[in-house]
Amino acid sequence: MSTKQSTLGQLIAALGLDTENEWSHVVRERLVAYGLLGLYVFVIWFPIYFIFITSIKPTSAVLDIPISFFPTQPTVSNYVEIFQNRPFELYTLNSLIVASTTTIICVTLGTVTGYSFSRYDFIGNKALLLSIVGARMIPPIALIVPFFSIMSNPPLIGWLTGSLYDTRIALILTYTFFNLPFAVWIMKNYFDGVPESLDEQARIDGCSRWEGFVKIILPMAKPGIAATAILAFIFSWNEFVFALVLTSSEQAQTLPIAVSLFVADDFVDWAHLAAGGMIAALPGILFGLFFQQYIVSGLTQGAVKE
Amino acid sequence: MSTEKQSLRRKLDRLFVPLTVGPTMLWIAGIIVYPTLKLLWSSVFWTNPITSQKEFVGLRNFERLIFADGGGGVLGLAPDFVSITWHTIVYVGLSVSISFALGLGIALLLNKDLKGRGWFRTAVIVPWILPYVMSGLMWRWMFQSEYGAINGLLTQSGLLSDKIAFFSDGTLSMMALVIADIWVFTPFIIIILLAGLQNVPEQLYDAAEVDGAGRVSRFVNVTYPFLKPSILVALTIRIIFDIRALDLVWVMTQGGPGKSTEVWASWLYRTAQVFNRPGEGAALGVVLLAVTFLIVAVLYRVFGESPY
Repeated sequence: MSTKQSTLGQLIAALGLDTENEWSHVVRERLVAYGLLGLYVFVIWFPIYFIFITSIKPTSAVLDIPISFFPTQPTVSNYVEIFQNRPFELYTLNSLIVASTTTIICVTLGTVTGYSFSRYDFIGNKALLLSIVGARMIPPIALIVPFFSIMSNPPLIGWLTGSLYDTRIALILTYTFFNLPFAVWIMKNYFDGVPESLDEQARIDGCSRWEGFVKIILPMAKPGIAATAILAFIFSWNEFVFALVLTSSEQAQTLPIAVSLFVADDFVDWAHLAAGGMIAALPGILFGLFFQQYIVSGLTQGAVKE
Repeated sequence: MSTEKQSLRRKLDRLFVPLTVGPTMLWIAGIIVYPTLKLLWSSVFWTNPITSQKEFVGLRNFERLIFADGGGGVLGLAPDFVSITWHTIVYVGLSVSISFALGLGIALLLNKDLKGRGWFRTAVIVPWILPYVMSGLMWRWMFQSEYGAINGLLTQSGLLSDKIAFFSDGTLSMMALVIADIWVFTPFIIIILLAGLQNVPEQLYDAAEVDGAGRVSRFVNVTYPFLKPSILVALTIRIIFDIRALDLVWVMTQGGPGKSTEVWASWLYRTAQVFNRPGEGAALGVVLLAVTFLIVAVLYRVFGESPY
């Protein structure tokens, strides 16, 4: 009895519940908060857990009844097989190339443009900024018809490139369309928070605008750049609809398409789908676990601040 | 030599703004303005699916989609238009309102001074950053009638004697979609509202508590005024995204069974790509564009803020 109480006491101390004032009130309040949050986290992680254990079950055990919620014979064979039986290394490579190129373009252009919008008054800067916000509001899916026809038969550069349908370039061009306005917006808001006295100091020290930007301002903007880069990468990595419309073979198809291909008309290959799904989900899970604060700051900078 | 260098420096400095803003604006013009004009242009043509010949039809694509040609639904509107709009309203309305309520609750809990708050925030954000396709397929697997986890939990624990065939019933399919959507997008609401909650000055809560204000009155009088801009952003982006998002619907139900979960996004995709009717697809795109701008305008009017 006494040991039980002391463990409870330790638990209360560990959770920071050991407050002298209004002890019972505070403890009850916090226990309820922990309980609700714990329940929520448990419920939202359960589906991820279920698809994970599906991915490490032997293919034959996936359709066992009753369903086992704890894998008894874990195996990596599903992961090995999707690389053997399907060109998963190509899908992964396509995803990597498309997402990183998009990220580089968006971060580069977004950073310099965001900086100019934050610092300089130039003709039409309000109108241009407003058009960037407007561009964010356009529902991408409304544009699948024009994007399909433009990529199949590119205007101006068509004689040079031929059709861009089923190429990574088509996806990179399209994904910059989603992400560049957002990148400009996040970076503009970020630079707004960097004191302008730093620019002035650089000017006094004899730096040109370019030198001041590269040497003084850019290093200050690292967290904003990280936030923009992570969001642009995740958005492009996860995109499905335009990849579905603009590609048809493994020379350009990305992981989300590869995962959806496990669904045949009447039959779904769940074990392999789960393995492919886990690979497609990996960057999201890793970024979420290790760079959560950048994602949050990027989102709130891009969305909330005015 | 050095004066030449200096004058080059000055010239480059003068070009700072054009060189940093110009490429982005050109890019945006090429990749957004041109496709948008092309969308309007495509919407007034009919493409013969066999010969690929285009024929100018004016507004007949819109007419065919929105108004019944003799069929006669509600108010002379096409039955498909009415039912698909209704499904979209149900889908968006239910998932936005439920995920908003849930997200607000979790954000308020996470705003408390708890140990391990950062850990909870990390755990909470993950569903939103997984590929939507993978989330959709994951939920399809959860709701699968024979081997799915939900039926497994319900029957193996004895709560239910027969398994439920979720995807062979329209209402149940819609419910499955809404649950998946809530699962995916509640983190977004939590993050945006949590950022808003951090703007509320701590002293105001203390003052309100001294005045004897209860929990509800504290929320209405102290929290809400500070939270309003965040609520507006969260709702706007959530609603817009739900109307145009295809991923979850397409991989979970493909609009079925029958047409019971067909929404605007899946209708647009089916018309344009599956049925290869680009003119009508473009017309649907134009309507979607107009509806989106209308919703944004109404929301900003309701919340009394100007859009940026």
